[in-house]
Formats: sequence, C-alpha cells, structure tokens
Amino acid sequence: MYDLARGPLMWAAFIIFTGGVIYRSVQLFMLTRKKDRSFYTSQSLKKQDSGKYSSEEKKLELLVSFQNTLIGKHPVMALISTVFHFCLFVVPVFLFAHNLVLFESWGFVLVSLPDSVCDILTIIFLFCAVFFLVRRLVVPKVQAVSTPYDFLLLLITAAPFLTGLFAYHQWFDYNTVLIIHILAGEVMVAAIPFTKLGHMVFFFFVRILIGSEYSFGRGSRTWIT
Amino acid sequence: MIKSKAKPLEEIKEMLKGYKRVLNTGCGGCASVCLAGGMKEVDGLNTKLSVSFKGDGVRFKVDGFTVERQCEMEFLAELDQMVEHYDAILSMACGAGVQFLAERYPDKPVFPAVNTAFIGVNRDLGWYEERCKSCGDCVLGITGGICPVAMCAKGLFNGPCGGPQDGHCEVDKDIPCAWVNIYERLKAQGRLNNIYKLYTAREWEDQIQGRIVLEAYKSRYVEDVK
Amino acid sequence: MKTVDTKKIKDMLKMKKARMKLSLSACASCSICAESCFLFMSKDKDPQYMPSYKVVNSLGKLYKKRGKVDRLFLEKMRDLIWKNCVLCERCYCPFGIDIPGMIAFARSICRSQGISGVYPHTLGAPEEEYSKNETG
Repeated sequence: MYDLARGPLMWAAFIIFTGGVIYRSVQLFMLTRKKDRSFYTSQSLKKQDSGKYSSEEKKLELLVSFQNTLIGKHPVMALISTVFHFCLFVVPVFLFAHNLVLFESWGFVLVSLPDSVCDILTIIFLFCAVFFLVRRLVVPKVQAVSTPYDFLLLLITAAPFLTGLFAYHQWFDYNTVLIIHILAGEVMVAAIPFTKLGHMVFFFFVRILIGSEYSFGRGSRTWIT
Repeated sequence: MIKSKAKPLEEIKEMLKGYKRVLNTGCGGCASVCLAGGMKEVDGLNTKLSVSFKGDGVRFKVDGFTVERQCEMEFLAELDQMVEHYDAILSMACGAGVQFLAERYPDKPVFPAVNTAFIGVNRDLGWYEERCKSCGDCVLGITGGICPVAMCAKGLFNGPCGGPQDGHCEVDKDIPCAWVNIYERLKAQGRLNNIYKLYTAREWEDQIQGRIVLEAYKSRYVEDVK
Repeated sequence: MKTVDTKKIKDMLKMKKARMKLSLSACASCSICAESCFLFMSKDKDPQYMPSYKVVNSLGKLYKKRGKVDRLFLEKMRDLIWKNCVLCERCYCPFGIDIPGMIAFARSICRSQGISGVYPHTLGAPEEEYSKNETG
C-alpha cells in the first residue's frame, strides 16, 4: 500500500495537478482578449480636470485606499487567510521530511525549514482551518452560501496537515498514519485544478491580468463578451 | 448613464462648516456606477471629513447611508427615520438626486458632494466620455448615430467648420471631429444624402426646466386648460 | 401560464459555459463580497443581498439543473436578480470573479422566457405588481 501511494498514485496526483493547472490557465487565457488602449494627452484633459487633490486630500486618499483593502475592511479575515495560505504553501514545500523523500527519489533537495518551525506552522494552520470551520457554522452570511461541498473541501485541505502532524509525532500507528497522510496529500493536490480550490489559478490569473476596480495594476486583458 | 466627479474636499468642508452632525447619502444608481457616489465613496469621504475636521479641532460627526437611487421618492423614504438626527445632509448623487433629497427634507440643508458632469458612456472602468447633451430634439437618426450637439465643440448642424486636422477637432487634438466621423459612417452606409439637406438653426427653446410626461400618462399629470 | 423553453435556456447556458462555470467553481463561498454590496449593508445585512448568494442561487442553480427549470423557479429567481441587485457593478471578490456579469447573464436568460424585473419594486412584491400590470 505504501509503495502504491508513494509511486503510481503520487505520480497520478502530480500529473493531474500540473496538467490541470496548465489546462485551466490556457482555458482562462482563451476566454480573454487583449484590451483596447487609447489614451488622451494630459494636456487635453487639463481643461476638464477640476477636482485635483490638494496635498492634504492626497494624504487622506492614501488612508482611504488602505481602508478599502482587505486588511482595512476585514482585518481578522485578511490575517487568518494570509497565514492559512502561507502555511499551506510553505509547510509542504520546505518540510525536511518531504525534501528527504525528494532526495531519495530524484537526488535533489530544496531549502528545508527546521522541523520545530514546521510543527508550529502546522498547528497554526490547523487553528486557521478551525476558524474557517466555525465561521462557516456560525456567521449567518457564510452559512447562507455554505454547502456540504464547502465543508468537504475544508476537510480535504486540512487533512494532510492533521495527518502530517500525527505522523511527525508518531501518534497512533505510524505506518497507517503515514499512508493516510500521503493519500490525503495526493487527494488535495489532485483536487486543486478541478474544484473550488481552483481559485489558486483563478486568483492569480484574474486579479492580475484582468483590469477591474480591484485588480492588481491596470490589467492588460478583458473577458471576451 | 449620468457621470459625476468628486468635489474637492476643501469645498465640501467649506459647505459643512458649522454643522456638527451630517448624514452623507450615497446613490446606488449612476453615481455608484461611475465610482463617484456609491457606498465605497461615501465611506471614503466620511473618513476624509472626519480626519480632516479632527485635525482642525472641529467637533464633527458624519454617518453614511446609500440608497438605491436618489431620483426616486420611494427610495428616499428609507432615510426618513434617519435625517431627524442630523443638522445637514450631504448627497453624493447627481444634481437631480440632490434636489429631490432637498425637496423631501425642506427644513434640512442639503449639500452636493460631487459635480455632475454629463450623460456619457463607460469606455472602461474609471474612463467615461460624454455622448449626450440632453438637448431635447434628437438628430442621431440622420447623423449616423453620432451627435453633432455633444460631440462637435461648436455644436454645428450642417457639416464641419474649417478647423478639423487629420480628422481631429481644432479645439482639442485628442477629440475626433464629429462631422468627419458622421461623414465617414454615413458614406459607409450609403446614407450620405441625409446630410445634403440643409438644417435650419435649432430653436434653443429648452432653457427652462426639462419635463417629460409620456403620452400614455398625460391623463394622469396634465390638466387641459379650457 | 406560459411554459418554459428549456432548450433555449440550455443553448444560452452553453454559450457562456466555460467562463461562467469557471467563475462559479472559483467561488470559495468565503462571503467577503457581502460588505461591498450597499444593499446588503442597508438591508440589515440580510444574506439574501450578498453578491455570492445572489449568483449561486440564480445562475449557479441554472447550471446545476442544466437549464431544466420551470416558470416558478425563474419567477422566484427574478426577485433575487432584479429586486436584490441594482447591477451597480461595485461588488468586491477577492478572486476577481465578475459577479455583475453573471447576474446580468442570469437576467438575459430570464428575459428570454419573458420574465423581467417589475418596476417599481418598492410598491409591493413583484408578483403582485406583475398581475396588477396585466389586469390593469
């Protein structure tokens, strides 16, 4: 079972993930087109530019734009979500044990974080996951759009970390926990491109590439309508 | 839709001088679409006002509320319970909304927070262009869907002036000449005879308040004088 | 009562399937969009005004049911996408999902079946207004 999970299943998971992410990116790209651009000269707009900011208003405008960010509007959610996604990426990639497996298989390693750090990050991650779970259960607006599917995805995301924690501390039967851990990880990785976890691709693609009120930068593309 | 633009903060502060409790009302219609007077702008302006007045050492409290549209009494009614708690009302709607608000609460001073600019189109987010002067006598049918009143700097009715260069307006090189465009489009559609006819000067009689009562509704709002 | 042309709905859904399905599947139901909607804020934070709620329960359901809906379903949906949304296009989604575009598309589908917003909403429930208009 261990060999199956370490071998073909892991390959399958990574192929689904990589292929899926590429597929999704190409698909998104094909659904958009380059935006037409035409600019006026500042000379010509000057005549109609009545509402220039004073220096005081400019400073206040900075404050307002900060207030309009996710941190300004939802500080708790912004913090927990950032920490959650940071751990989600950092712990599996820079975990010493994972690098060891990488070395055994392909003979190279990435930078590893100390085990104690990863241990703490995992626990922090799980606390964030619990926060999301509780939020989904008790906050009315979140309840209103929560389906069993949302809970399942939270479970899929948290399971590798929970089982990883158990495996690292060798609680219960190590071999069983390890196999469950590997399987849980594979399920999560494979689920990314074709489930709601696809927001990983969607987020980077849309917020950066497509210009909108909330895009990062001006965005060079727009949806084909 | 109707496009408007924020007034300078100093001007708004000047208007609000002496008022301690102000209700800032946003509009979810055109003002919101053109990023000038929706809920986000209400919150932003309130922050600016609060911080700025505080810096001046002035006691000032401002709250915000955004209604669907301020050009509609039904939606304004939502504010009825609120306004009594305030000395003045600030409106981020267009001029029509501001006046309707002032009409509903005649004993409250109502101030505009934006400058209503024009009836225009969304070129892109935050980029709007005027298309209509609401002159009240539309000629788009003969001019190939390009308005000589709004798009020509001189509002000419019978072809371009002597000024266009490379198809652009002599008043502003960034603006295409309306009449060059009208000519090109009508030519492409084979409708050039539309503009061979001479049009007499417009009667600019609509300098009084514009009013529309639909034919089907005349029985409701129009009384015949005998 | 008129019937619903489900074939037409299916065809319309198919036309924008890739983009709409991707957008629907990207929604993590995080509910951060809620506070960016002025209607949500001015209606005592009723979840029925939350942008994601409006999309998931209109266009989302249309795709889930693959267009096999009856007239009652569309009429219920009308409230959600006309009365509860003014299409001011100001909602914030952390992933950049084009929520107004999806609501506008749901409206197009309703219109293809002769169902559209009844005006003004405030004078009563659209159903009442609708029948009043038909008889009056």
